Amino acid sequence: MSFLEVRDVVTAYGKIEALKGVSLEVAEGAITCLLGPNGAGKTTLMMTLAGILRPKQGSIVFAGEEIAGRAPHAIVARGVALVPENRLVFPAMTVLENMHAGAYQRGDKKTVPGDIERMFARFPRLKERAAQQAGTLSGGEQQMLAVARALMSRPKLLLMDEPSLGLAPLVVEEIFRIVTELHRDGTTIFLVEQNAHMALRVAQHFYLMEQGKVTFSGDPGSLAEDEVIRRAYLGSAQRPA
Amino acid sequence: MIADLVQNTLDGLSAGATYALLALGFTLIFGVLRRANLSFGPAIMFGCYAATWTHVNFGAGLLLLALITVSGAVLAGAYVERLCFAPHRGGSAIAAMVASFALWMQFEELATLIMPRHLYAFPLLYEGDPLALGPFTLRIDALAMLGAALAACLALWWTLYRTRFGLAVRALIEQPAAAALAGINVPWVFVRVFALASAIGGVAGYLVVASHGQITPMLGMWATLKGLLAMMLGGLGSLPGAVIGGLALGLIEAHTQWYLGPQMRDLIAYLLLFVLLAARVPWMTTRSAS
Repeated sequence: MSFLEVRDVVTAYGKIEALKGVSLEVAEGAITCLLGPNGAGKTTLMMTLAGILRPKQGSIVFAGEEIAGRAPHAIVARGVALVPENRLVFPAMTVLENMHAGAYQRGDKKTVPGDIERMFARFPRLKERAAQQAGTLSGGEQQMLAVARALMSRPKLLLMDEPSLGLAPLVVEEIFRIVTELHRDGTTIFLVEQNAHMALRVAQHFYLMEQGKVTFSGDPGSLAEDEVIRRAYLGSAQRPA
Repeated sequence: MIADLVQNTLDGLSAGATYALLALGFTLIFGVLRRANLSFGPAIMFGCYAATWTHVNFGAGLLLLALITVSGAVLAGAYVERLCFAPHRGGSAIAAMVASFALWMQFEELATLIMPRHLYAFPLLYEGDPLALGPFTLRIDALAMLGAALAACLALWWTLYRTRFGLAVRALIEQPAAAALAGINVPWVFVRVFALASAIGGVAGYLVVASHGQITPMLGMWATLKGLLAMMLGGLGSLPGAVIGGLALGLIEAHTQWYLGPQMRDLIAYLLLFVLLAARVPWMTTRSAS
Protein backbone atom coordinates (compact mmCIF):
# COMPACT_ATOMS: atom_id res chain seq x y z
CA MET A 1 0.00 0.00 0.00
CA SER A 2 1.30 3.38 -0.83
CA PHE A 3 2.13 5.78 1.99
CA LEU A 4 1.48 8.90 -0.01
CA GLU A 5 -0.90 8.85 -2.93
CA VAL A 6 -1.22 11.87 -5.19
CA ARG A 7 -4.11 11.78 -7.69
CA ASP A 8 -4.74 14.24 -10.54
CA VAL A 9 -3.49 17.23 -8.60
CA VAL A 10 -3.87 20.57 -10.35
CA THR A 11 -2.22 23.63 -8.81
CA ALA A 12 -2.43 27.01 -10.51
CA TYR A 13 -0.86 30.42 -10.05
CA GLY A 14 -3.77 32.59 -11.08
CA LYS A 15 -4.85 31.14 -14.43
CA ILE A 16 -1.57 29.42 -15.19
CA GLU A 17 -1.58 25.77 -14.21
CA ALA A 18 1.83 24.72 -12.92
CA LEU A 19 0.60 21.20 -12.13
CA LYS A 20 -1.70 19.80 -14.79
CA GLY A 21 -3.00 16.66 -13.12
CA VAL A 22 -0.09 15.02 -11.32
CA SER A 23 -0.45 11.47 -10.05
CA LEU A 24 2.23 9.50 -8.22
CA GLU A 25 2.83 7.28 -5.22
CA VAL A 26 5.46 7.10 -2.52
CA ALA A 27 6.05 3.74 -0.81
CA GLU A 28 6.59 3.54 2.93
CA GLY A 29 10.23 3.25 3.98
CA ALA A 30 11.61 4.01 0.53
CA ILE A 31 13.46 6.87 -1.09
CA THR A 32 11.42 8.10 -4.03
CA CYS A 33 12.85 10.77 -6.21
CA LEU A 34 11.32 13.29 -8.54
CA LEU A 35 13.42 14.46 -11.47
CA GLY A 36 12.73 17.05 -14.09
CA PRO A 37 14.04 20.18 -15.76
CA ASN A 38 13.62 23.68 -14.31
CA GLY A 39 10.06 24.91 -14.45
CA ALA A 40 8.58 21.40 -14.62
CA GLY A 41 6.56 22.09 -11.46
CA LYS A 42 8.60 20.04 -8.96
CA THR A 43 8.74 22.77 -6.31
CA THR A 44 5.07 23.58 -6.90
CA LEU A 45 4.24 19.95 -6.16
CA MET A 46 6.29 20.02 -2.95
CA MET A 47 4.63 23.25 -1.82
CA THR A 48 1.23 21.73 -2.59
CA LEU A 49 2.02 18.58 -0.60
CA ALA A 50 3.15 20.73 2.35
CA GLY A 51 -0.02 22.86 2.21
CA ILE A 52 1.65 26.18 1.30
CA LEU A 53 -0.17 26.07 -2.03
CA ARG A 54 -3.76 24.94 -2.29
CA PRO A 55 -4.53 22.55 -5.15
CA LYS A 56 -7.39 23.48 -7.47
CA GLN A 57 -8.41 19.87 -7.77
CA GLY A 58 -7.21 16.34 -7.10
CA SER A 59 -6.50 14.44 -3.93
CA ILE A 60 -3.48 13.89 -1.71
CA VAL A 61 -3.88 10.94 0.63
CA PHE A 62 -1.25 10.45 3.31
CA ALA A 63 -1.41 7.34 5.52
CA GLY A 64 -5.04 6.89 4.56
CA GLU A 65 -6.08 10.47 5.24
CA GLU A 66 -6.90 13.25 2.78
CA ILE A 67 -4.54 16.19 3.33
CA ALA A 68 -5.13 18.24 0.17
CA GLY A 69 -6.03 21.84 1.04
CA ARG A 70 -5.22 21.55 4.73
CA ALA A 71 -3.17 24.24 6.48
CA PRO A 72 0.62 23.65 6.57
CA HIS A 73 0.74 23.29 10.35
CA ALA A 74 -1.99 20.66 10.24
CA ILE A 75 -0.02 18.72 7.64
CA VAL A 76 3.15 18.91 9.76
CA ALA A 77 1.13 17.63 12.71
CA ARG A 78 0.09 14.61 10.62
CA GLY A 79 3.73 13.72 10.00
CA VAL A 80 4.75 15.34 6.72
CA ALA A 81 7.68 17.78 6.87
CA LEU A 82 9.24 19.68 3.98
CA VAL A 83 12.86 20.79 3.76
CA PRO A 84 12.21 23.73 1.44
CA GLU A 85 14.18 24.77 -1.60
CA ASN A 86 16.91 27.28 -0.62
CA ARG A 87 16.69 25.91 2.96
CA LEU A 88 14.89 28.98 4.38
CA VAL A 89 16.48 28.79 7.82
CA PHE A 90 15.59 31.61 10.23
CA PRO A 91 18.77 33.69 9.76
CA ALA A 92 18.71 35.87 12.87
CA MET A 93 17.74 33.01 15.17
CA THR A 94 20.35 30.69 16.66
CA VAL A 95 20.87 27.15 15.40
CA LEU A 96 19.26 25.85 18.58
CA GLU A 97 16.24 28.16 18.20
CA ASN A 98 15.80 27.00 14.60
CA MET A 99 15.60 23.44 15.87
CA HIS A 100 13.11 24.38 18.59
CA ALA A 101 10.98 26.06 15.93
CA GLY A 102 10.90 22.73 14.08
CA ALA A 103 9.44 21.08 17.19
CA TYR A 104 6.83 23.86 17.59
CA GLN A 105 3.66 21.82 17.13
CA ARG A 106 4.81 18.78 19.08
CA GLY A 107 2.73 17.93 22.11
CA ASP A 108 5.50 15.95 23.83
CA LYS A 109 7.73 18.77 25.06
CA LYS A 110 9.73 16.48 27.35
CA THR A 111 11.26 14.50 24.50
CA VAL A 112 12.45 17.58 22.58
CA PRO A 113 15.85 17.95 24.36
CA GLY A 114 16.61 14.28 23.70
CA ASP A 115 15.79 14.75 20.01
CA ILE A 116 18.04 17.80 19.85
CA GLU A 117 20.88 15.72 21.31
CA ARG A 118 20.26 13.07 18.64
CA MET A 119 20.32 15.75 15.92
CA PHE A 120 23.62 17.04 17.29
CA ALA A 121 25.01 13.51 17.21
CA ARG A 122 23.96 13.21 13.57
CA PHE A 123 25.14 16.72 12.66
CA PRO A 124 28.19 17.45 14.86
CA ARG A 125 28.81 20.73 13.00
CA LEU A 126 25.46 22.04 14.23
CA LYS A 127 26.40 21.24 17.80
CA GLU A 128 29.58 23.32 17.49
CA ARG A 129 27.50 26.20 16.16
CA ALA A 130 24.43 25.76 18.40
CA ALA A 131 24.55 29.33 19.78
CA GLN A 132 25.46 30.93 16.45
CA GLN A 133 22.96 32.80 14.26
CA ALA A 134 21.81 30.52 11.44
CA GLY A 135 22.53 33.23 8.87
CA THR A 136 26.25 32.98 9.60
CA LEU A 137 26.43 29.27 8.66
CA SER A 138 27.82 28.02 5.35
CA GLY A 139 25.40 26.77 2.69
CA GLY A 140 26.02 23.14 3.58
CA GLU A 141 25.55 23.79 7.29
CA GLN A 142 22.32 25.67 6.58
CA GLN A 143 21.09 22.70 4.57
CA MET A 144 21.86 20.38 7.48
CA LEU A 145 20.05 22.76 9.82
CA ALA A 146 17.03 22.80 7.49
CA VAL A 147 17.01 18.98 7.55
CA ALA A 148 17.42 18.91 11.34
CA ARG A 149 14.62 21.46 11.75
CA ALA A 150 12.29 19.33 9.63
CA LEU A 151 13.27 16.17 11.53
CA MET A 152 12.47 17.88 14.84
CA SER A 153 8.77 17.55 13.97
CA ARG A 154 9.29 13.75 13.97
CA PRO A 155 7.96 13.32 10.44
CA LYS A 156 6.83 10.00 9.02
CA LEU A 157 7.43 11.38 5.55
CA LEU A 158 10.28 13.77 4.79
CA LEU A 159 9.96 15.89 1.67
CA MET A 160 13.19 17.40 0.39
CA ASP A 161 13.28 20.05 -2.30
CA GLU A 162 16.67 20.29 -4.04
CA PRO A 163 18.87 19.68 -1.00
CA SER A 164 22.05 19.85 -3.11
CA LEU A 165 21.23 23.21 -4.72
CA GLY A 166 24.25 25.53 -4.83
CA LEU A 167 26.49 23.29 -2.73
CA ALA A 168 30.07 22.17 -3.42
CA PRO A 169 30.49 18.54 -4.60
CA LEU A 170 31.95 17.34 -1.30
CA VAL A 171 29.05 18.88 0.61
CA VAL A 172 26.59 17.29 -1.82
CA GLU A 173 28.20 13.92 -1.05
CA GLU A 174 27.63 14.57 2.65
CA ILE A 175 23.99 15.57 2.14
CA PHE A 176 23.33 12.36 0.23
CA ARG A 177 25.13 10.33 2.88
CA ILE A 178 22.68 11.84 5.38
CA VAL A 179 19.74 11.02 3.11
CA THR A 180 20.78 7.36 2.96
CA GLU A 181 21.33 7.32 6.73
CA LEU A 182 17.85 8.71 7.36
CA HIS A 183 16.43 6.10 5.01
CA ARG A 184 18.32 3.34 6.78
CA ASP A 185 16.85 4.55 10.07
CA GLY A 186 13.37 4.09 8.65
CA THR A 187 12.34 7.55 7.36
CA THR A 188 10.32 7.63 4.17
CA ILE A 189 11.81 10.21 1.83
CA PHE A 190 10.42 11.98 -1.22
CA LEU A 191 13.20 13.90 -2.87
CA VAL A 192 13.26 16.50 -5.62
CA GLU A 193 16.65 16.76 -7.28
CA GLN A 194 18.35 18.50 -10.16
CA ASN A 195 21.37 16.31 -9.59
CA ALA A 196 19.87 13.26 -11.30
CA HIS A 197 22.99 11.07 -11.09
CA MET A 198 23.17 11.50 -7.32
CA ALA A 199 19.45 11.04 -6.82
CA LEU A 200 19.27 7.84 -8.88
CA ARG A 201 22.13 6.41 -6.85
CA VAL A 202 20.15 6.57 -3.60
CA ALA A 203 16.53 6.20 -4.74
CA GLN A 204 14.50 3.00 -5.04
CA HIS A 205 12.00 4.54 -7.39
CA PHE A 206 11.85 7.66 -9.50
CA TYR A 207 9.41 9.85 -11.39
CA LEU A 208 10.17 12.21 -14.21
CA MET A 209 8.13 15.39 -14.39
CA GLU A 210 7.93 17.64 -17.42
CA GLN A 211 5.72 20.68 -17.96
CA GLY A 212 3.46 20.01 -15.02
CA LYS A 213 2.91 16.31 -15.67
CA VAL A 214 4.53 13.03 -14.67
CA THR A 215 5.85 11.64 -17.94
CA PHE A 216 7.87 8.67 -16.81
CA SER A 217 8.39 6.49 -13.79
CA GLY A 218 10.66 3.56 -13.10
CA ASP A 219 13.39 2.01 -11.01
CA PRO A 220 17.03 3.16 -11.16
CA GLY A 221 19.18 0.87 -13.24
CA SER A 222 16.50 0.33 -15.83
CA LEU A 223 17.34 0.71 -19.50
CA ALA A 224 15.59 4.04 -19.72
CA GLU A 225 17.85 5.68 -17.16
CA ASP A 226 20.11 7.54 -19.60
CA GLU A 227 17.14 8.92 -21.46
CA VAL A 228 15.54 10.00 -18.16
CA ILE A 229 18.70 11.75 -17.02
CA ARG A 230 18.96 13.58 -20.31
CA ARG A 231 15.37 14.71 -20.11
CA ALA A 232 15.71 15.62 -16.45
CA TYR A 233 18.35 18.14 -17.40
CA LEU A 234 17.05 19.32 -20.75
CA GLY A 235 13.35 18.56 -20.88
CA SER A 236 11.82 16.57 -23.73
CA ALA A 237 10.70 19.76 -25.46
CA GLN A 238 14.30 20.51 -26.33
CA ARG A 239 14.96 17.09 -27.77
CA PRO A 240 16.64 17.48 -31.18
CA ALA A 241 14.46 16.36 -34.08
CA MET B 1 23.55 75.28 29.89
CA ILE B 2 24.53 71.79 30.91
CA ALA B 3 21.61 71.68 33.31
CA ASP B 4 19.22 72.50 30.43
CA LEU B 5 20.78 69.83 28.29
CA VAL B 6 20.43 67.19 30.98
CA GLN B 7 16.88 68.29 31.84
CA ASN B 8 15.82 68.17 28.17
CA THR B 9 17.44 64.78 27.75
CA LEU B 10 15.49 63.44 30.72
CA ASP B 11 12.23 64.88 29.37
CA GLY B 12 13.04 63.54 25.92
CA LEU B 13 13.73 60.06 27.22
CA SER B 14 10.47 59.88 29.12
CA ALA B 15 8.44 60.98 26.07
CA GLY B 16 10.64 58.76 23.90
CA ALA B 17 9.87 55.71 26.03
CA THR B 18 6.17 56.10 25.14
CA TYR B 19 7.04 56.55 21.47
CA ALA B 20 9.13 53.40 21.73
CA LEU B 21 6.08 51.48 22.96
CA LEU B 22 3.97 52.82 20.09
CA ALA B 23 6.72 51.93 17.61
CA LEU B 24 7.03 48.43 19.09
CA GLY B 25 3.32 47.81 18.60
CA PHE B 26 3.51 49.09 15.05
CA THR B 27 6.63 47.05 14.30
CA LEU B 28 5.13 43.83 15.62
CA ILE B 29 2.18 44.14 13.27
CA PHE B 30 4.26 45.39 10.37
CA GLY B 31 6.97 42.78 10.84
CA VAL B 32 4.62 39.84 11.12
CA LEU B 33 1.95 40.84 8.60
CA ARG B 34 4.00 43.11 6.30
CA ARG B 35 1.06 45.48 6.52
CA ALA B 36 0.77 49.01 7.87
CA ASN B 37 -2.12 49.23 10.32
CA LEU B 38 -3.28 52.86 10.24
CA SER B 39 -5.94 52.06 12.82
CA PHE B 40 -3.30 51.22 15.41
CA GLY B 41 -3.56 54.65 17.05
CA PRO B 42 -7.35 54.95 16.81
CA ALA B 43 -7.73 51.52 18.47
CA ILE B 44 -5.65 52.88 21.36
CA MET B 45 -7.83 56.00 21.39
CA PHE B 46 -10.88 53.73 21.64
CA GLY B 47 -9.38 52.07 24.73
CA CYS B 48 -8.62 55.46 26.30
CA TYR B 49 -12.15 56.69 25.55
CA ALA B 50 -13.65 53.58 27.10
CA ALA B 51 -11.69 54.39 30.26
CA THR B 52 -12.67 58.07 30.14
CA TRP B 53 -16.32 57.13 29.70
CA THR B 54 -16.13 54.85 32.74
CA HIS B 55 -14.42 57.59 34.71
CA VAL B 56 -16.98 60.25 33.74
CA ASN B 57 -20.01 58.05 34.41
CA PHE B 58 -18.94 55.93 37.35
CA GLY B 59 -15.60 57.24 38.53
CA ALA B 60 -12.85 54.67 38.80
CA GLY B 61 -9.34 54.31 40.23
CA LEU B 62 -6.15 54.63 38.21
CA LEU B 63 -5.47 50.92 38.10
CA LEU B 64 -8.97 50.06 36.91
CA LEU B 65 -8.77 52.78 34.26
CA ALA B 66 -5.45 51.37 33.04
CA LEU B 67 -7.03 47.93 32.83
CA ILE B 68 -10.02 49.26 30.87
CA THR B 69 -7.73 51.20 28.50
CA VAL B 70 -5.62 48.16 27.70
CA SER B 71 -8.56 45.76 27.29
CA GLY B 72 -10.43 48.34 25.20
CA ALA B 73 -7.40 48.69 22.92
CA VAL B 74 -7.04 44.91 22.61
CA LEU B 75 -10.74 44.55 21.77
CA ALA B 76 -10.55 47.31 19.16
CA GLY B 77 -7.34 45.79 17.78
CA ALA B 78 -9.01 42.39 17.39
CA TYR B 79 -11.90 44.11 15.59
CA VAL B 80 -9.42 45.75 13.18
CA GLU B 81 -7.66 42.43 12.57
CA ARG B 82 -10.90 40.57 11.80
CA LEU B 83 -12.28 43.30 9.56
CA CYS B 84 -9.21 44.63 7.74
CA PHE B 85 -6.43 42.07 7.87
CA ALA B 86 -7.88 38.56 8.11
CA PRO B 87 -9.83 38.90 4.80
CA HIS B 88 -6.78 40.22 2.92
CA ARG B 89 -4.26 37.72 4.22
CA GLY B 90 -1.83 37.00 1.41
CA GLY B 91 -3.81 39.43 -0.73
CA SER B 92 -3.52 43.13 -1.35
CA ALA B 93 -1.52 45.12 1.20
CA ILE B 94 -3.10 48.34 -0.04
CA ALA B 95 -6.62 46.98 0.49
CA ALA B 96 -5.80 46.13 4.11
CA MET B 97 -4.27 49.55 4.69
CA VAL B 98 -7.21 51.42 3.17
CA ALA B 99 -9.63 49.29 5.19
CA SER B 100 -7.70 50.17 8.35
CA PHE B 101 -8.04 53.84 7.41
CA ALA B 102 -11.83 53.38 7.17
CA LEU B 103 -11.89 51.93 10.67
CA TRP B 104 -9.84 54.89 11.88
CA MET B 105 -12.73 57.13 10.78
CA GLN B 106 -15.17 54.77 12.45
CA PHE B 107 -13.37 54.95 15.79
CA GLU B 108 -13.18 58.76 15.66
CA GLU B 109 -16.88 59.05 14.78
CA LEU B 110 -17.82 56.66 17.54
CA ALA B 111 -15.77 58.61 20.09
CA THR B 112 -17.31 61.98 19.15
CA LEU B 113 -20.81 60.48 19.02
CA ILE B 114 -20.71 59.02 22.50
CA MET B 115 -18.60 61.78 24.05
CA PRO B 116 -19.28 64.89 21.97
CA ARG B 117 -17.07 67.40 23.78
CA HIS B 118 -13.71 68.02 22.19
CA LEU B 119 -11.84 67.62 25.42
CA TYR B 120 -12.36 65.48 28.52
CA ALA B 121 -10.36 65.43 31.71
CA PHE B 122 -8.56 62.24 32.62
CA PRO B 123 -7.32 61.53 36.16
CA LEU B 124 -3.67 62.45 36.48
CA LEU B 125 -1.05 59.86 37.23
CA TYR B 126 0.46 62.10 39.90
CA GLU B 127 -0.68 65.46 41.19
CA GLY B 128 2.00 66.46 43.67
CA ASP B 129 5.02 68.70 43.19
CA PRO B 130 7.89 67.62 40.99
CA LEU B 131 10.93 66.15 42.66
CA ALA B 132 13.87 68.59 42.94
CA LEU B 133 17.29 67.04 42.57
CA GLY B 134 19.93 69.76 42.68
CA PRO B 135 19.41 71.89 39.56
CA PHE B 136 17.02 69.34 37.99
CA THR B 137 13.32 68.89 38.49
CA LEU B 138 11.96 65.45 37.89
CA ARG B 139 8.26 65.17 37.18
CA ILE B 140 7.07 62.11 39.02
CA ASP B 141 4.62 61.20 36.27
CA ALA B 142 7.40 61.45 33.67
CA LEU B 143 9.49 59.09 35.78
CA ALA B 144 6.56 56.72 36.12
CA MET B 145 6.06 56.85 32.35
CA LEU B 146 9.71 56.04 31.76
CA GLY B 147 9.58 53.21 34.28
CA ALA B 148 6.36 51.73 32.94
CA ALA B 149 7.57 51.99 29.36
CA LEU B 150 10.84 50.28 30.22
CA ALA B 151 8.97 47.55 32.11
CA ALA B 152 6.70 47.01 29.09
CA CYS B 153 9.76 46.83 26.80
CA LEU B 154 11.34 44.22 29.08
CA ALA B 155 8.12 42.21 29.26
CA LEU B 156 7.92 42.27 25.47
CA TRP B 157 11.56 41.25 25.16
CA TRP B 158 10.93 38.35 27.52
CA THR B 159 7.84 37.32 25.57
CA LEU B 160 9.66 37.41 22.25
CA TYR B 161 12.93 35.81 23.28
CA ARG B 162 11.98 33.46 26.09
CA THR B 163 8.59 31.98 25.18
CA ARG B 164 7.28 29.56 22.58
CA PHE B 165 4.91 32.20 21.26
CA GLY B 166 7.86 34.60 20.88
CA LEU B 167 9.78 31.99 18.90
CA ALA B 168 6.82 31.71 16.54
CA VAL B 169 6.57 35.49 16.14
CA ARG B 170 10.27 35.85 15.33
CA ALA B 171 10.13 32.90 12.92
CA LEU B 172 7.18 34.51 11.18
CA ILE B 173 8.97 37.86 10.91
CA GLU B 174 12.07 36.24 9.43
CA GLN B 175 10.71 33.58 7.06
CA PRO B 176 6.91 33.39 6.82
CA ALA B 177 6.85 30.33 4.53
CA ALA B 178 9.37 28.42 6.63
CA ALA B 179 7.43 29.27 9.80
CA ALA B 180 4.34 27.57 8.38
CA LEU B 181 6.47 24.61 7.26
CA ALA B 182 7.87 24.29 10.78
CA GLY B 183 4.33 23.63 11.99
CA ILE B 184 3.46 27.09 13.32
CA ASN B 185 -0.25 27.93 13.11
CA VAL B 186 0.21 31.21 11.26
CA PRO B 187 -3.33 32.73 11.36
CA TRP B 188 -3.53 32.11 15.11
CA VAL B 189 -0.17 33.79 15.69
CA PHE B 190 -1.45 36.79 13.67
CA VAL B 191 -4.42 37.21 16.01
CA ARG B 192 -2.24 36.97 19.10
CA VAL B 193 0.29 39.42 17.68
CA PHE B 194 -2.51 41.92 17.09
CA ALA B 195 -3.69 41.49 20.66
CA LEU B 196 -0.14 41.88 22.02
CA ALA B 197 0.59 44.97 19.89
CA SER B 198 -2.69 46.58 20.91
CA ALA B 199 -2.00 45.86 24.58
CA ILE B 200 1.41 47.55 24.31
CA GLY B 201 -0.22 50.46 22.51
CA GLY B 202 -2.88 50.59 25.22
CA VAL B 203 -0.19 50.94 27.91
CA ALA B 204 1.39 53.79 25.92
CA GLY B 205 -2.00 55.46 25.41
CA TYR B 206 -2.85 55.24 29.08
CA LEU B 207 0.51 56.73 30.10
CA VAL B 208 0.05 59.63 27.69
CA VAL B 209 -3.50 60.60 28.69
CA ALA B 210 -2.81 60.06 32.39
CA SER B 211 0.24 62.30 32.30
CA HIS B 212 -1.48 65.02 30.24
CA GLY B 213 -4.64 64.74 32.29
CA GLN B 214 -6.87 65.13 29.23
CA ILE B 215 -8.04 63.35 26.12
CA THR B 216 -9.25 64.42 22.66
CA PRO B 217 -10.25 62.37 19.61
CA MET B 218 -6.96 63.49 18.03
CA LEU B 219 -5.16 60.96 20.23
CA GLY B 220 -5.69 58.28 17.55
CA MET B 221 -3.98 60.23 14.81
CA TRP B 222 -1.27 61.34 17.21
CA ALA B 223 -0.45 57.76 18.23
CA THR B 224 -0.44 56.46 14.64
CA LEU B 225 1.85 59.27 13.46
CA LYS B 226 4.29 59.03 16.36
CA GLY B 227 4.41 55.24 16.16
CA LEU B 228 4.91 55.28 12.39
CA LEU B 229 7.58 57.97 12.62
CA ALA B 230 9.49 56.23 15.41
CA MET B 231 9.26 52.87 13.62
CA MET B 232 10.63 54.35 10.41
CA LEU B 233 13.44 56.20 12.18
CA GLY B 234 14.57 52.93 13.76
CA GLY B 235 14.31 50.91 10.57
CA LEU B 236 11.20 49.11 9.32
CA GLY B 237 10.44 45.86 11.04
CA SER B 238 13.28 45.85 13.56
CA LEU B 239 12.25 45.52 17.21
CA PRO B 240 15.40 46.97 18.83
CA GLY B 241 15.23 49.61 16.09
CA ALA B 242 11.72 50.55 17.26
CA VAL B 243 13.02 51.25 20.76
CA ILE B 244 15.96 53.26 19.44
CA GLY B 245 13.71 55.14 17.01
CA GLY B 246 11.23 55.97 19.78
CA LEU B 247 13.88 57.23 22.18
CA ALA B 248 15.59 59.18 19.38
CA LEU B 249 12.30 60.82 18.42
CA GLY B 250 11.67 61.82 22.04
CA LEU B 251 15.16 63.32 22.38
CA ILE B 252 14.96 65.16 19.06
CA GLU B 253 11.60 66.67 20.00
CA ALA B 254 12.72 67.72 23.48
CA HIS B 255 15.89 69.39 22.26
CA THR B 256 14.39 71.14 19.23
CA GLN B 257 11.54 72.42 21.36
CA TRP B 258 14.00 73.96 23.77
CA TYR B 259 16.44 75.42 21.26
CA LEU B 260 14.20 76.21 18.28
CA GLY B 261 10.77 76.57 19.81
CA PRO B 262 7.65 74.36 19.90
CA GLN B 263 6.56 75.14 16.35
CA MET B 264 9.79 73.60 15.01
CA ARG B 265 9.38 70.44 17.07
CA ASP B 266 7.41 68.27 14.66
CA LEU B 267 8.97 69.88 11.63
CA ILE B 268 12.49 68.79 12.57
CA ALA B 269 11.43 65.19 13.20
CA TYR B 270 9.73 64.95 9.79
CA LEU B 271 12.66 66.69 8.13
CA LEU B 272 15.03 64.16 9.66
CA LEU B 273 12.87 61.29 8.41
CA PHE B 274 12.81 62.86 4.96
CA VAL B 275 16.59 63.26 4.86
CA LEU B 276 17.19 59.72 6.11
CA LEU B 277 14.80 58.26 3.54
CA ALA B 278 16.22 60.37 0.72
CA ALA B 279 19.76 59.37 1.66
CA ARG B 280 18.72 55.69 1.69
CA VAL B 281 20.43 54.97 5.00
CA PRO B 282 21.10 51.21 5.06
CA TRP B 283 19.16 50.37 8.23
CA MET B 284 16.02 52.01 6.85
CA THR B 285 15.90 50.23 3.53
CA THR B 286 16.72 46.69 4.65
CA ARG B 287 14.16 44.85 6.66
CA SER B 288 16.11 43.02 9.31
CA ALA B 289 14.49 40.81 11.88
CA SER B 290 16.30 41.52 15.10
